Amino acid sequence: MITGEMKTLLWKELLDLYRDRKTLFTSILLPLISLPLIGLMGLALIEQQTVNIAIVDLDRETYTNNLLNITLSSKWIVENLTRYLERYGYNVTIAENRDVVENPRIDLAVIVPEGFTVNASSLNSTAKIIVLRKAGVQAAARAEATIYSIIDYFSQNISDAKINALSRLLNTTIKPEALRKPVSAYTRIVGTFGQKVSPEIVYRNMFARILVLGFSFVVTPAASFVIDGIIGERERKTIELLLAAPVSPQTVIWAKLIAATILGLITALADIAGLLVYMASFSLALGVSFTLIVDPLLIGLHAITAFFTILVTISIALPFITRTRGIRSASNIVGIVTIVALIFFFTGFYVDYIKLPGDVLTPLYLIPYTHSILVIQAYILGYTLRSFLHILVLAIASIVILYIASRTVNTEKILTAQS
Amino acid sequence: MVREVLIVEDIHKIYDGKVHAVKGVSFRVHSGEIFGLIGPNGAGKTTTLRMIATLLKPTRGSIFVNGVDVVKDPINARKYIGYLPEEADVYTRLTGYEHLLFYARLYDIENVEETVRFGAKLSGLGDDLERRAGEYSKGMKRRLLLALVLMRKPHLAILDEPTSGLDVYASVRVRRMIKKYVSETGSSVVLSSHNMLEVEYLCDRIAFIHNGRIIDSGSVEEVKERYNVLNLEEAFVSAIERVGGRK
Ligand SMILES: Nc1ncnc2c1ncn2[C@@H]1O[C@H](COP(=O)(O)OP(=O)(O)OP(=O)(O)O)[C@@H](O)[C@H]1O
Ligand SMILES: [Mg+2]
Repeated sequence: MITGEMKTLLWKELLDLYRDRKTLFTSILLPLISLPLIGLMGLALIEQQTVNIAIVDLDRETYTNNLLNITLSSKWIVENLTRYLERYGYNVTIAENRDVVENPRIDLAVIVPEGFTVNASSLNSTAKIIVLRKAGVQAAARAEATIYSIIDYFSQNISDAKINALSRLLNTTIKPEALRKPVSAYTRIVGTFGQKVSPEIVYRNMFARILVLGFSFVVTPAASFVIDGIIGERERKTIELLLAAPVSPQTVIWAKLIAATILGLITALADIAGLLVYMASFSLALGVSFTLIVDPLLIGLHAITAFFTILVTISIALPFITRTRGIRSASNIVGIVTIVALIFFFTGFYVDYIKLPGDVLTPLYLIPYTHSILVIQAYILGYTLRSFLHILVLAIASIVILYIASRTVNTEKILTAQS
Repeated sequence: MVREVLIVEDIHKIYDGKVHAVKGVSFRVHSGEIFGLIGPNGAGKTTTLRMIATLLKPTRGSIFVNGVDVVKDPINARKYIGYLPEEADVYTRLTGYEHLLFYARLYDIENVEETVRFGAKLSGLGDDLERRAGEYSKGMKRRLLLALVLMRKPHLAILDEPTSGLDVYASVRVRRMIKKYVSETGSSVVLSSHNMLEVEYLCDRIAFIHNGRIIDSGSVEEVKERYNVLNLEEAFVSAIERVGGRK
């Protein structure tokens, strides 16, 4: 298929692309830096968020349970809560009463109610600490989780003290855990075929999921490139001279599609590079091995899948692109095709397509994007052969669609669909 | 014997089944001849030239270039045709030289180097060929485009308003380029124009086209004599008035 004409046409397209720094910048540098940037910015900003917590002590009591010989003081609870929360970087103020929650600057109020010390130290009642959390404050949810874990810690200490006191009274040995939580569950991650896996597999799967999401970033620049290559050439008045050359319009269009796919592939590689930087910082932060998360074969599969995914997308869009009046209407139509792709890739981020029942999955096989997702998901779950099979289906589908689409290309339509 | 490089036989073009733009145009262009199509805006010149250039399919009628049926075998016919569209422009990011190289290679010419050298000479752009064409003036762009079309020495060059939008000096340079090319290569040209001076200077024979029909044709001298006028402009106006003026 790569004839001399095709080589010449590709040479011109790629030379033009190479000199189009704006397009190159947006399709390479942006994906390369945006993913790590999103990660780093997110982390940095999360650190910067201030959360104002008010603690209200309505109990103001120090109570001793004489039977168990346990003394609890609400002041001690408040002081320790404050100390821990401040250590986590929260702003803590001590308030007199619960009206403090009316202050909009307060994101979260912790209320130690009346009777807390009595209830907490008793053997036949429990004590509650009330957390008032303002709706819609993202960081308050994080603070809430911290408060819960501090309170759990207190609760466990009090429980230990109670059980030890009982054990003394009964004069038998009691392991606090045996009384408090005699039954619990424990999970260990294994592979699809029950094999031992390292904990890194979890991160590797996450990496794969983000890769699937990444397909949606690469189809858009490629599609814009095709639109610009066909309608842009028409608007810039260069296409008529080109179409008059003794090459078929199909060859001209194919060269543009291949150039667009190459651009898409470069975008995909930039995307992967960005993701790798992100994962590297991630693995550093978590202390997990980078090489165990990143799998070269997976990256190779991603690149091949990206290539055919782009090809299939622009092939589907092609008959519409050659028939519309201007760049804007072409972009709208291509937008519809790419939105379908985006829906698939976004759902592929959290749905395991491979786990869908046959009667749901089979009709989805008609959509090429299903195969794009399954290539990655099957591979990650250890079905390597099936992964290759999906690549094959995707490749055949994209070539067939490309062939059919290029049949619809017509010199007269390209020239006369003018605004 | 005069060889006929172009034969146009009763061609029609109806756009989208509605606009009847060309209604039975016939003419012939001999080897080494410059033929001019003259007509008001919307007369059907561009439509006719695009059909000859194989870019539009005639609704009816036939066209032969160098004996090749343009409708049946467009890709083969294109090898004998050089077509400069009415509103052609350059690739702004490619240099003039890269344009020459691109089109020489695209036409699958055996001696690309020689063709490019000839194109460079034709264009008269000299060192400017190394600059990006986006930086060229209108006149320079037109000379480059014309060189792209003519460097392969096509048997038939189709030039749709080759000097429109150019200033006097730039127009003269383009006209000289066309004239010199024809006298050196013996190729044929069919061109359209609104400029009677240009037509008188360049064309051996002309046809007046109006509302999709040829209303008169002949050599420049013949036509002037027929209407008993001194210049083509007056002949053109008389011809149009005779068929009932402009709609
Ligand atoms: N794509 C098209 N669809 C429908 N009608 C068209 C189309 N292109 C041209 N026409 C119509 O065909 C007729 C002939 O147009 P054409 O462009 O051939 O004229 P022209 O002689 O080249 O005019 P000009 O001197 O303005 O370039 C006009 O009435 C025009 O409106
Ligand atoms: Mg015209």
